[in-house]
Amino acid sequence: MAVFGRNGISRRTVLRGVLAGGVSVVVPLPRLGAMLNGNGTAYANGTMLPVRFGFWFFGNGIIPSRWVPNATGVGDAWTLSEQLAPLLAVKPWLSVITGTDIKVPDSAPHASFPACALSGATNGNKTTLLPTIDQVIAQMIGMGTTFPTGIHLGIGNSSGSTALGDTMSFSGVGQPNPPEFSPANLFKKLMQFANTTSTPAAPDPELLREQMVLDAVNAQATTLRTSLGSEDQQRLDRHLEGIQELQTQIMRAQGPKVSGTLVDPDTAYPNRGADGSLSRARCEAFNDLLVFALSTDLTRIFSYTFTPPASFQSYADCGLGTGGFHGDYGHRGSPKGAAYATAGMNTGVRYAMTNLADLLTRMQETPDGGTTLLDNSCVYTTSCTSESQTHSPIDFPLLVSGKAGGKLKGNQHVRLVGENSSTVLHTLYTMFGGTAETFGLDMGQVSSGIPALLA
Amino acid sequence: MGFLQHACKIGTLALCGALVTACTAMINGSDPKATGGGTAATSGTAAPVATGPATLLSLPSTPLPTTGLHKLTAWEFANSLQDLLGSDVPLAPVEADTLINGFATVGATSVSISPAGVGTSQTVLGNATAWAFADAQHAAAALSCVPQTTTDACLTQAINAFGRRAFRRPLTSGETMRFVDLATTIGNQSGSSVLIGVRHAVWAILQSPQFLYRVELGAPSAADGGRLKYTSFELASRLAATLWASVPDDALLDAAAQDSLSTAAGGLAQAERLIADPRAHRSLAAFSDQLFDAFDLGQAQKDPTTYPAWTPTLEAAMLKEVELRFDDLALTQKADYLSFFSSTSTFVNSELAKFYGVPYTATDDSFQRVDLPSGTPRVGILGAGAILAGHAHAQLTSPTLRGKYIDNMLLCEVIPPPPPGVPPLPSMAPSGSTTRQVLEAHRAQPVCASCHGLMDPMGFGMENFDSTGQYRTTDNGQPVDASGTLDGIAFTNLAELGVAVQKNARTVPCLVNNLYENALGRAPLDLDSADLDRLIGQFAASGNRIDQLLIQLVSNDGFRFVTPVGEE
Repeated sequence: MAVFGRNGISRRTVLRGVLAGGVSVVVPLPRLGAMLNGNGTAYANGTMLPVRFGFWFFGNGIIPSRWVPNATGVGDAWTLSEQLAPLLAVKPWLSVITGTDIKVPDSAPHASFPACALSGATNGNKTTLLPTIDQVIAQMIGMGTTFPTGIHLGIGNSSGSTALGDTMSFSGVGQPNPPEFSPANLFKKLMQFANTTSTPAAPDPELLREQMVLDAVNAQATTLRTSLGSEDQQRLDRHLEGIQELQTQIMRAQGPKVSGTLVDPDTAYPNRGADGSLSRARCEAFNDLLVFALSTDLTRIFSYTFTPPASFQSYADCGLGTGGFHGDYGHRGSPKGAAYATAGMNTGVRYAMTNLADLLTRMQETPDGGTTLLDNSCVYTTSCTSESQTHSPIDFPLLVSGKAGGKLKGNQHVRLVGENSSTVLHTLYTMFGGTAETFGLDMGQVSSGIPALLA
Repeated sequence: MGFLQHACKIGTLALCGALVTACTAMINGSDPKATGGGTAATSGTAAPVATGPATLLSLPSTPLPTTGLHKLTAWEFANSLQDLLGSDVPLAPVEADTLINGFATVGATSVSISPAGVGTSQTVLGNATAWAFADAQHAAAALSCVPQTTTDACLTQAINAFGRRAFRRPLTSGETMRFVDLATTIGNQSGSSVLIGVRHAVWAILQSPQFLYRVELGAPSAADGGRLKYTSFELASRLAATLWASVPDDALLDAAAQDSLSTAAGGLAQAERLIADPRAHRSLAAFSDQLFDAFDLGQAQKDPTTYPAWTPTLEAAMLKEVELRFDDLALTQKADYLSFFSSTSTFVNSELAKFYGVPYTATDDSFQRVDLPSGTPRVGILGAGAILAGHAHAQLTSPTLRGKYIDNMLLCEVIPPPPPGVPPLPSMAPSGSTTRQVLEAHRAQPVCASCHGLMDPMGFGMENFDSTGQYRTTDNGQPVDASGTLDGIAFTNLAELGVAVQKNARTVPCLVNNLYENALGRAPLDLDSADLDRLIGQFAASGNRIDQLLIQLVSNDGFRFVTPVGEE
């Protein structure tokens, strides 16, 4: 059984240091195998393993009649629908929630609904109005890790400009966490923490100098803060947060390395396609890296944008013509006719689920203590519409995967017709330790979750 | 309350219920002006403060934003590094801009850099400074003097001079001490050098929020009845950002130090100097990219089977073409903005020349000015590939997207978004129909006509150009009909559509609106009406010269004061 909360690692496992500017810091170390107890279910000192959270987003919605499983229930009582069938290997970890609706009005197509599905509130101008669920949960479980606000990834980068954009994670109004589209860049970033050589490297004087640079920047930001209004102060605090993350990372890079399998995407997936394009190989490259970062506890939070809302992406990788997916398939505008377009839409959704299954399967195959990474994770999946051709908010696609350290039941289909979709967010929020009575804003606000999802 | 009822209550009142999503299905994805929770479309509780042409723009009466931090746009970041460290400085992308109302500068006043984005800047700046201080020769391009030792008096002088340009104001004594100490400490380390020390001090300066954000807060001006006015150094920052998309030079900062920018005349003199400088081309290019929707062009997907001529290099050439045309119009020809819609003079490299079917004689693949042959159907800026291909689908054209682009970006009209969840209409057009026929069948439905009636008839004028912008005379085997109307003016082809845009009363106010919005980093409000009216008048008096408009814009009160005159 895992625990939630920000004190997941004992103070004994921190790296103590004094920054060049004289500021004393304590930084928890990434998890090392040696720190675990004999069963691998907890740290040697009894502290429980962390639970990870992320969302996995895909654009352009679904076809509800092909998405919603026929039967409800738990275990063998239900079977996967046509569009969910690619998730068969991870069905025991999967909770499908259907029948719920996005309740906020559609003030901007492909922006209001995904904003609400991720934050419980409608959109602002290219922003959410509340932090998205990953950032809400990051505040509760991310602290002290190397990437406390998470790792944010994107596969496809083609978004309609009326849509929210290609950033889906927000820490607050006007505080986007734009995705990294380059597996090579993420690899480079992670490599500094990985045990890639047998001989420990000599201390790098350049890293110490960089710390001094960041100390000066920190002082600059602190000075500026006093002259700003509250809105600008919040924006500046975000900058400070970034500086402090960098300082943590530099300190980590000088400390003990984590052991895990870090796959170089340029070696393993050399023909994966350009950054921003859609391919299975690009997903696999990122899935390897994400599993590494999660399993070594470099981060406990992620956002993963398979395709952004209203994605005009080419889905050629799954055999569809090179027309933009949003228009040709989502809205059934293919020059080849409506029947072809509907079949293509179905193919596209199944392709998305295949790639989600790839990530979940790798998590399931990755040992994490005595169980698996998927057992100790929770992955929330949604989209920007339900039925895409009408921008429908009815019967919205919502999945919750993983067992969250034993807190989630899994292997069930729950159908709650007419219920507010934010009840799922409320469930996740309280499961990770949130105590506020409500989640969301205005029509997106709810005051209760879905107990049936919990073990 | 049912969902749709609710949507109608808060939606755009007049049109709600008259829209069917199927009709708008293909227009989403290229409307920078229609985002934002409907705030732009719900203006009008307070009476406008002026009755001039700015009233055509339906400016909202929302409160003035209070932010004083302008995040550097990607253009400003890159240009600033080139100006500060050397034109060959290695650059890499930083966190992407957020376009609001189509403008990165507007996004830059509300969006902050993410923690990961701070990390990206750190890496980019680390590489740039390593290059710039690799040796004394490189360092000389960045510094006013190159210190030989950490005790050299030139060290403090160089840090102060560099810091003043990067922060767009003199360093405080505390800042000078901080950065000189950093340079000295690192410079004195074993195996280090004074240049390594300076490199790290410069790295810290450039990673500071005082560089990555323009800090423009204003101060009450006693001479102006206490109105909040930008300080001289803040005006220098604003002038350089607007006219150069970069940091100020020393001459501009010297003018600020002498407080000569605090008067409109002082600002005007500097504006005239800046617009005559080659660096002005960069701000025009940045504005042009936004006006011509480089974002949409960059995301355009074309079917390679249908359009084998479509390549990434052709797309890049199309973007460069409109940048060069806009720059030429504004800074070289200094011609009437309205001539943009009838001009047949443009710029091509070899690939674009081949695509347009015009001769190309240069051997270096540079962009050359060409006059399209007499009688060309590709008349005016609306015939540019960037606009035609950027607003079309992978295989089919989209008169809707093209009309919507004209409406949004060139006429500043706002098309409201559709309500959700309405079932689609079956296609009314028989197979084999032209795109126009399909859209006309949809428009025959009253529920569709209210929005498509605004957009499609404009876009029909561009139907002689396919999804990639190539000229055509047939669509789906039938002759193209490129006739349509714009605000009651009928046309039969692209050239006549251009004339209709020229004659439209909104065309000129809309360009003024867009340049104003881009410069201020916020959407104009009804409080700005008087300023906009004055600018529109000055623009007309200059013969609609964009260079003159820019000079007037930055000398105008709306640019110089935080609070517009109309604010209580």
